[in-house]
Amino acid sequence: MRASSYPFPTRRSLKIFAFDPMLGRVPLHRITIDVTHEQLRPGPMGSRLTILDYDGVRGRYYEPVNLDDPALLLQDGLDPTEADPRFHQQMVYAVAMKVIENFEVALGRRIHFYRRKPLLLLPHAFAGANAYYSSRRQAILFGYFSADAAKPGSNIPGQNVFSCLSQDIIAHEVTHAIVDRLRRFFKWPTNPDMLAFHEGFADIVAIFQHFSFPEILNHAIQETHGDLRRPTPLIELAAQFGQATGKGEALRTALDRPDAAASNNILEPHQRGSILVAAVFDGFFTTFQSRIQDLLRLASGGTGRLPEGYLHPDLVNRLAQEARATAQAVLRMCIRAFDYLPPVDVTFGDYLRALVTADYELNPDDRSGLRRNMVEAFRVRGIYPHGVRSLAEDSLLWERFDAGATCPDYVISELNNRLLSEAASSSRSSTRDQVAEEKLGRREEKTLNYLARELRKKAWESFDKLDLASPHTVRTNLVSMHPVFRIGQDGQLLVETVIQFVQERRRSKSSYGGVAMRGGSTVIAQADGRIRYVISKPLDSTDLRPEKAREGKEREMRFESFLRDFDCTDACQIWRDERYHQERLVRGLTLAMVDRRGAG
Amino acid sequence: MSDLITIRMYNTGFGDSFLLTFPADRPRKVLIDCGMHQFGPGPFPAGEVVDQILADVDEPDGPRIDIVVATHRHRDHVSGFEHKSWDKVRVAEVWMPWTEHPTDPEARSIRERQSSLAQRLCLAIQQLNLDAAERDYRFAFAQNNLSNAEAMTTLHEGFKDVKRRRFLPHKNGKRTAIQPACLPGVEIHALGPSRDPKVIRDMKPPEGESYLRVTAEDGRMLSQPSPFPASPGWTRGEFDALLKELDCQELLNGFSAKTAAGISSEGVVDEMAIATSLETAVNGTSLVLMFRMGKAHLLFPGDAQWGTWREILDDTECHPMLRRTSFYKVGHHGSHNATPPEFVETFLPKGALAMIPTRPMTRWPFIPKAALLTALTKYGVEFARSDEPPSAPSRFTCQERNGKTFSVTVEIPV
Repeated sequence: MRASSYPFPTRRSLKIFAFDPMLGRVPLHRITIDVTHEQLRPGPMGSRLTILDYDGVRGRYYEPVNLDDPALLLQDGLDPTEADPRFHQQMVYAVAMKVIENFEVALGRRIHFYRRKPLLLLPHAFAGANAYYSSRRQAILFGYFSADAAKPGSNIPGQNVFSCLSQDIIAHEVTHAIVDRLRRFFKWPTNPDMLAFHEGFADIVAIFQHFSFPEILNHAIQETHGDLRRPTPLIELAAQFGQATGKGEALRTALDRPDAAASNNILEPHQRGSILVAAVFDGFFTTFQSRIQDLLRLASGGTGRLPEGYLHPDLVNRLAQEARATAQAVLRMCIRAFDYLPPVDVTFGDYLRALVTADYELNPDDRSGLRRNMVEAFRVRGIYPHGVRSLAEDSLLWERFDAGATCPDYVISELNNRLLSEAASSSRSSTRDQVAEEKLGRREEKTLNYLARELRKKAWESFDKLDLASPHTVRTNLVSMHPVFRIGQDGQLLVETVIQFVQERRRSKSSYGGVAMRGGSTVIAQADGRIRYVISKPLDSTDLRPEKAREGKEREMRFESFLRDFDCTDACQIWRDERYHQERLVRGLTLAMVDRRGAG
Repeated sequence: MSDLITIRMYNTGFGDSFLLTFPADRPRKVLIDCGMHQFGPGPFPAGEVVDQILADVDEPDGPRIDIVVATHRHRDHVSGFEHKSWDKVRVAEVWMPWTEHPTDPEARSIRERQSSLAQRLCLAIQQLNLDAAERDYRFAFAQNNLSNAEAMTTLHEGFKDVKRRRFLPHKNGKRTAIQPACLPGVEIHALGPSRDPKVIRDMKPPEGESYLRVTAEDGRMLSQPSPFPASPGWTRGEFDALLKELDCQELLNGFSAKTAAGISSEGVVDEMAIATSLETAVNGTSLVLMFRMGKAHLLFPGDAQWGTWREILDDTECHPMLRRTSFYKVGHHGSHNATPPEFVETFLPKGALAMIPTRPMTRWPFIPKAALLTALTKYGVEFARSDEPPSAPSRFTCQERNGKTFSVTVEIPV
């Protein structure tokens, strides 16, 4: 006889600071969130994340928390505290998992990091007022520091401030890691939008994650009388952090004064990214406003103007529900757009087009008006896609591909393999075999290289239709391919494939400060291999149709002028040698550098 | 009365010093900067240059300068003012950037931030475990930013009979031309430093205790107490044993002692990077002046940086006068980022003259920037360097001393 087993839990609850320890002094700001349940080893070590608490400042290791210990399971983990490094590990794990989950729900597939290895997070890696994602190490390093002696804000002078206890900073950095996984060339800037996109997108994820905490949201709605644009921690980023570094206010907020000229003048990636954040938040807010009109009328005897004083708790609940649902829709829309982004040289305008196309594919009639509001919010900030004649919906949509090319059979059969392994891996959540996962990860990589070779060898005749130069003239890589699932309007499951090709002009690195001139296409195909969209950034090549080659030429010129602008602002070059000069763009303008500098 | 403005550039090595003589009832004199860099001195001692300036401004009743301009507080622009002999010089007006205003709160906050960072930086560099030559180099680099108290005292309190000290541009009065009584017939536009908060932000280097403290002990703060009094943390060996006990040794998979050391060093703040951003921040406070007399337009941008330049180039009101520039003092010793290519290509007219106070530095091969010199020539701008005699024939004349260039002079018609 065997005893019957219990159903495997699907969620794990963990306590965290909703924002950071400074705001966490208010009991309300200590909350419990739930994330996908998986078996964890001490660390925590899970399938996507490993938290290793090595203190790089002191060269010491802190004891790893065991979240699967029955004592912790019974009380949703440790209570929020600054004093126990094990709580720090727990919070980093919980928030990072929440971000990964948000991406997985929106994209409809699992996120795997490099070769299916877990991402490494070091909660106390260095001394400094920042945190950063290192692509080379596949790790996120969090710093800690003493609050400014002269202007500590609401902290005590000299008090230790931990970046790993800021919900926003964790979410921001994990988003960098995921974006880097989805589009690995976005971290090498070839235009002023690229790093700004990385930064802005990371802030968007961090801010909209606030809206998933019901207690916080209800409180904010009562406080602001339903006007979510009034300043609350809800729409601000990293309050403690900003105050502790002497800034006297939160690091960044979701609000701005829209200025159509701003996108020409602001080049620092965080500030430029803030334009994107403000545009998305504006789109959210307008949609939220229109969704609650009826509630406001009901609650105000038809005037739509709420009376002074406290709001009725039922009304607060309903408003919060609407806010949460809208925020959720916005976040999903923002993340889903990824599959429709070109593989290289992305601009804010491309992102707007991807946003519109992805959402159109999912819900063509835009009943909530979210898509329309989003386009308007981008417009007032001067963000227009390149080469689009109007901001009408059908000109914003990426053009449908009608050149009639299909993916070759061997590509389709590999996709089928991936489908199966994907389906299998999602049912494996209870018992995890990391060794097998990593083996699979390596195999996937080999297959991509093999397919790229095959495509080259068999000289797939469709390359030019995909706006790609002949693989004999430029280095051509297949950087990723994955299946996407979505439910069509008729309720049927649609399976699509997203493939990214990237081409690199040889020996172009030294002339562009260390970043190669790349082109590429994101190809979206149906399950039968029929191609639906080709989202391309062509190279200047005689293999291509003249208008595409011209587009490539224009891109090259834009890259050159971007480099020139960078040179004008980069004072480091004066004091450095020839080698720095050749690699100035990759050394002077990396995500880590930007995040390190940006804290100030 | 002559109708020529004379501009004399003294060779102070890696430093600026210009004497302008304007025609009037008696020649009126404007001295713009007087300094040399600790790390890149010129061929003559600073004292000798100062003595020559005093001789050049001498009048029957003693040396007299109408306006002394200090573009910004870097040593390579002001160190010469620490000499005692300035006490006997009569000066009508002293001009400095608004960021030197003694009481303006914004100016004070910028100055305090810059100088406290410079002090901490110098301290940190002195404690670095480096060979002497490297340390001296870094120290000199950082020291350029230390507020040079004696020189600044001269500028703020010194000279004889000073009638007025101006801190420019005036709030809200930026585009109004100044017509100083001591400089008849001359109109001066102060185009920078900016008062726009967005540009000011670049003048403020990051602040915060946390920023530098780390470097003092070579990146490690081992003597620091643990941030967790109750959990001091484990050494590698102890941690290995702990993981064995917890049966999770794979936590350290792929994380070798070498990786750990790498992580520790990643956190080390590079004091040279901070020194660079501070250097840039101070350059950003440069006073930018356009002198107009008749058809002569003389542009002295100090060491203005991108933010200030951007603002000037974006302001269409400035365009007509920029297009008429007849003399341009090349910013920051000919660095690539102190003269926007756009200015050379679209504004600086053909036939304009330029001067570059500079000298070759082995450490800084990009000063002066070759591409900038090529561009000047390409766009028909004749220029002279402070360290080389001008190529003949030329509109510049060179004064030599002991076989070396002492100064270069040019005359600009009014």
